[in-house]
Amino acid sequence: MFVIRTFIILCILCCLSPQALLAKTLLLTDQHHKPLSGVVVELLDGDMIKVVPSEVAVMDQVGKRFAPRLLVISKGQSVRFPNSDDIRHHVYSFSQAKSFELKLYAGTPKKPIIFEQSGIVVLGCNIHDSMVGYIYVANHPHVYISNDKGLVELPDFTQDYTVWHETQVGDINQREQHQWSARKQQQITIITTLAPLPRNTFGEVFKEHHGH
Amino acid sequence: MGRLFGRVTGLLCIVILLNACVTPKANVSLYHQLGGEPTIERIIDSFINEIGRHPTIIQYFKEANVMHFRTGFIRHMCALLDGPCKYTGDSMVQIHTGMDITTRDFNIVVELLITAMNEAGVSHVLQNQILARMAPLRSEIIKI
Repeated sequence: MFVIRTFIILCILCCLSPQALLAKTLLLTDQHHKPLSGVVVELLDGDMIKVVPSEVAVMDQVGKRFAPRLLVISKGQSVRFPNSDDIRHHVYSFSQAKSFELKLYAGTPKKPIIFEQSGIVVLGCNIHDSMVGYIYVANHPHVYISNDKGLVELPDFTQDYTVWHETQVGDINQREQHQWSARKQQQITIITTLAPLPRNTFGEVFKEHHGH
Repeated sequence: MGRLFGRVTGLLCIVILLNACVTPKANVSLYHQLGGEPTIERIIDSFINEIGRHPTIIQYFKEANVMHFRTGFIRHMCALLDGPCKYTGDSMVQIHTGMDITTRDFNIVVELLITAMNEAGVSHVLQNQILARMAPLRSEIIKI
């Protein structure tokens, strides 16, 4: 009796374990076969987002950086910009998916912003040109970000998916579509990237004077 | 003694004469006396260079957008010297809050501005008048 119960529990555990649900591994690399972290993989199979998460996402400003640098949210979701720095920031976006300007002063929080359209929102700061951030507004509920090794674990039902990376060549809004090869558990998708342009900051302009 | 008196009187006369030269300009704005926008641009560009080369001061500016700073300061200086501009940017308090600027570093920045004005060929008489206009802003910049 005990053996049977243990067996049943083990079976349930097996079914619940992530390995059973996430069975496909995708490797993202650049054109030089270097693993790419921070690639957003969105599955196109299944329904679009029906219920918008009520949770307000957070894009903070910490040490003159956006934190996180890349935020993935669902279409219709709101984002707060709390500004944990005790200095001012002028956050802006010229992106088609959502353009806005937010003047953040120390200790004066602003209302969250709703992102009604899916797409890529590139964030900058008028004051600190070194600050760059991205909000990926997804259409579908299954969205993943590649890790430091360029890997993402995807569910077994994965068929069609799109990839996006901040350094991809061409249109920043483009999400290139790919298909999973039948009967393969591992696959590689290559994204052609371009080195980012230098920023218009004092640090960048005068770096030869300070050795970095 | 007589010669010394003569020299002092001479000097006084020169001072009075100089003043006489300056006085009629009282109605002309500092902005125009300076030579308007081109001179202000020269000053700010030199100032940006001085900041960029200074190992301590660059630390405050490292992440800052050079063009944003340049445009903002040119307009602010133009407005401060009664030029035809309106400064609509952030206040000095809003800009400097949280930067924890020390008296020592503030003084260094003033020195850098003086160097920039020298490089732009601004006379010392005008420099003093410009600095006098800026001096009241000190308390809005330092240690806030």
